[in-house]
Amino acid sequence: MNINAIEVKNLTKKFGDFVSVDNVSFNVKEGEIFGFLGANGAGKSTTLRMLCGILSPTSGDALVGGFSISNDPALVKKNIGYMSQRFSLYNDLTVEENINFFGGIYGLSGNKFLDRKKWVLAAANLLGREKTIASSLPGGIKQRLALGTAVIHRPGIVFLDEPTSGVDPISRRNFWNLINQLSEEGITIFVTTHYLEEAEYCNNIILIDSGKIVAEGTPKELKTKHIKNDIYEIETADAVKALELLEFQNYVDETSIFGNNIHVAFNENLESIDKVKQLFSDARLETTKMEKIIPTLEDVFIHLLDKDK
Amino acid sequence: MRNILTIIKKEIHQFRRDPKMFGIILLGPILQLIFFGYAVNMDLEKVTAVVFDKDKSVQSRLFIEEFTSNKYFEILANVNDYDEVEKYLENGEVTLAIVIENKFEKNISTNRTAKVQVIFDGSDGNKASVAAGYVTNIFSDYSKQILIDLQNKAGQKRTLISNVEAEIRAWFNPTLKTRNFMIPGIIGMLLSIITLILTSLAIVKEKEIGTLEQIIVTPIKPYELIIGKAIPFAAMGFIVVSIILSVMTFGFNIPIKGSIPFLFLSSAVYILSTLGLGIFVSTVSKTQQQAMMIAVFVVMMPMVFLSGFAFPIENMPAIIQCITYIIPLRYFMTIIRGVILKGIGFTELWLELMIMFVMGIVLLVASSLRFKKNLD
Amino acid sequence: MKKRLFAIAKKEVKQLFRDRRMMFVIFFFPVFLLGIFGYAVNFDVHNIQLAVLDNDKSGTSRDFIASISSSSYFDIVNYISNNHEIDETLNKRETQAVLVIPQNFSSKIFSGKKAAKIQFIIDGVDGNTAAIIKNYAQGATASFNQKIQSEFVPRFGVRLNPPVELFPLFWFNPELQTTKFLLPGLIALILVVTSVITVSLSLVREKEKGTLEQINVSSIKTIELLLGKSFPYLIMSFINAAIILLAGYLLFDIAVKGNYIYLFISIAVFLFACTSIGIFISAISESQQFAFTAATFFSLLPSLILSGFIFPIESMPMFIQVLTNITPTKFFIISLRAIMLRGASLDAFFIQWIYLIIYSSISLLLASLAEKSKLKML
Repeated sequence: MNINAIEVKNLTKKFGDFVSVDNVSFNVKEGEIFGFLGANGAGKSTTLRMLCGILSPTSGDALVGGFSISNDPALVKKNIGYMSQRFSLYNDLTVEENINFFGGIYGLSGNKFLDRKKWVLAAANLLGREKTIASSLPGGIKQRLALGTAVIHRPGIVFLDEPTSGVDPISRRNFWNLINQLSEEGITIFVTTHYLEEAEYCNNIILIDSGKIVAEGTPKELKTKHIKNDIYEIETADAVKALELLEFQNYVDETSIFGNNIHVAFNENLESIDKVKQLFSDARLETTKMEKIIPTLEDVFIHLLDKDK
Repeated sequence: MRNILTIIKKEIHQFRRDPKMFGIILLGPILQLIFFGYAVNMDLEKVTAVVFDKDKSVQSRLFIEEFTSNKYFEILANVNDYDEVEKYLENGEVTLAIVIENKFEKNISTNRTAKVQVIFDGSDGNKASVAAGYVTNIFSDYSKQILIDLQNKAGQKRTLISNVEAEIRAWFNPTLKTRNFMIPGIIGMLLSIITLILTSLAIVKEKEIGTLEQIIVTPIKPYELIIGKAIPFAAMGFIVVSIILSVMTFGFNIPIKGSIPFLFLSSAVYILSTLGLGIFVSTVSKTQQQAMMIAVFVVMMPMVFLSGFAFPIENMPAIIQCITYIIPLRYFMTIIRGVILKGIGFTELWLELMIMFVMGIVLLVASSLRFKKNLD
Repeated sequence: MKKRLFAIAKKEVKQLFRDRRMMFVIFFFPVFLLGIFGYAVNFDVHNIQLAVLDNDKSGTSRDFIASISSSSYFDIVNYISNNHEIDETLNKRETQAVLVIPQNFSSKIFSGKKAAKIQFIIDGVDGNTAAIIKNYAQGATASFNQKIQSEFVPRFGVRLNPPVELFPLFWFNPELQTTKFLLPGLIALILVVTSVITVSLSLVREKEKGTLEQINVSSIKTIELLLGKSFPYLIMSFINAAIILLAGYLLFDIAVKGNYIYLFISIAVFLFACTSIGIFISAISESQQFAFTAATFFSLLPSLILSGFIFPIESMPMFIQVLTNITPTKFFIISLRAIMLRGASLDAFFIQWIYLIIYSSISLLLASLAEKSKLKML
């Protein structure tokens, strides 16, 4: 079944003169995990809010679950779940009270509600801790609770705005397990993030910069399509010096630092990697590793964003 | 309907968890009522004065005694020159200064007019007028006494004319204690302030902390959210009203002459209108700080000054009187004073009641319309 | 350390002036309100509508009525003829008071034995108007008394000048306009509201958002931090004060009789006291809502009722008079009235400045204690 859950057509949002989202178009298939990536301020949250029907577009439109965000935002809202960037459950209510509240607002009652309530508690690992005050929950648990309440009514589409910011890596992994679970049930998941490793978990990705789409495709497509260069990872004692060395060489396109490692994108001008090895030994710079790697998404994005400029 | 209940439940849970707010909302008005109830008093109890006696005669001393023996007056000092008189008046230490000319005794004994200058601190016009009244009476009595003495000395038995004495009868407030008609007014004020504070922040607060975003993404309708928030505050206001009315009746001994059910009905309707105001403020503000400034400057201060609480509306210029018509507290003042002090009820006050009701509904509807489930 | 204070203050000023809506409300509204309330607040009850029930209908009673109506206090709008009409005319609000002259009015006067009693019947519910009418009635009667004493005596052939004559002089406010008296209080109220609320809210807002920097346990540093943060509001209130005074002068002819320097010092000390209260309130509040409620109850309402603005402090019971020290507005109003209305010299209000400084110190002390006790609990 390849129905589109979301169809975006020429969506634009301006705040005064500032164009936050610039003529963006894309589709999201039903049941897939769709990642929306970009730096802060790139326009991710704005796009997401428009798709939820809580921010009106300046021009363009989108069909979410079959309903137009410009004309029928109320109908859009019936079918979606949303988790905003800030933890937006009530800190001064207990876990249970929060769940009861959102369950009530989404029209759930009776046994159906009780079932869903149990599900949410289990998903967030909070069974037996219903009476805990939300403010005392650790970050990772809070996020799962928020996600649970966002889908308590079993919507077809869920929008998650930077759901894992400020959460430790292990909790992040748990969170994504939950997302995968939801995806397996057929729910379409639209998630924004600036953590690139999370992009790997998505079926499809869009990279957005300054309101415009810079790249789209599956993670694999992005890694292979966009980068023609050979990417090498060099581990060295003095990364900064290494960078300085390499930047002026005519066979180097891009460099970036990853801790003690640097990733270098070489172009056709490089006949052999030995030349680089020579360069380093001439400068008396030791390297412990110099290998060709499959580009990570981060490499891809840096390449793309750089190219843009 | 169900959504409204859900919202109400949430508000109640949140309120219970904030004991400080709870405490101040319940205790604050009681304390305020007690303190202000005792403080509000327009009657002039004491007039301070200094005396500059240029004559220092027996007669002048007798004259001065009229003042010292009078319960309203307190002579702070006898001074000896105009500079001192000026000082006392400028410093605000006395309300008036009595300057007796040096020919006082001589003039009286030779059947001429003795002149006494009384200099008033006019800065408080009201106080000065009242003091002037007291002083005039003393002069009048003293003059009459002298005439009587003279008549008697001359052997004429015929006494002179009597004075006119004004008896003031104030309906509904026989003792004319300021407190009695101010306290119902204070109750109106306190009720207004409480409901206003609670509601003006109601929606903006959620805007600021971000939970509103989570709500507007759901299918809930604007009016459901607004009514759901309004009802708990209305209940709060009602509880507060009941408490302070009890304090008034039992603590200050001001009985409610009129119908208590009608009083509660009017309070409910008034609460409706202030809720409307508060929620409207909440929907037009982007931050809590904005909401509070608007609530204070655009709603609270006008309520205090233009509702007839402290300053009579009849005294105001016509244009300003027009403004007072859109202040709900104006009508509630009439009702609360009327019911408590006069014992009038629905038949006389239905118009005021209806106006408040309409105002409340209009404001709540306007808020619902304004409040689009939208971040713009 | 001083540099830090300055840096904090500078940042706060920038942030504040960027919020245009706030700027509008804070600068425009006080003047606007002053304009409206200045015209609204006064106790001058002019031309009280009076109905007269003259049961005597004698020359003397007519003299009395004439003397009453010639005073600017009363306007005779109606002559009624029986007791029933009293109720009616008051209820219908056609008149605000009814003068009832009994049948034996003139005979009582000429008997010289007992006083001739007349009645003023007023609707006691009508706010302060009733009290004012009462005062006027008594004043008008007193004037009449003095008049007949002095006029009547010559009729009997005895050439007596009135023994004692009153020459009243009204200083500082010859027309006895109550507006002039009330305006300093109005200015004080507007200032106290602006400064206390804005200061306490801004500090609490940062608490709520979590952007307030780590508060050191050392109270001196804490206070410096808080003062630095409130600095822009202090400046803003000062500008506000200047604007309001200017408006007062232009609209209501309120000229400052005394020394302008004293005036500004008074304002500065007062605003400092308000800021201290704001800091105290922020120290005991966790939420903006609470701060707002506390500010209203502890500064707005007391400034309105306990400061001597409307209700004279001397007329309050002793224990309430003690309580009036809870609001710095009281000291400020005393200074303002002394300087603006009476042009008094320094020693008249210098002590008020001292009180204000003591007040500020106590507030700040309490604020730092509150902060410390909170940290202890963590």
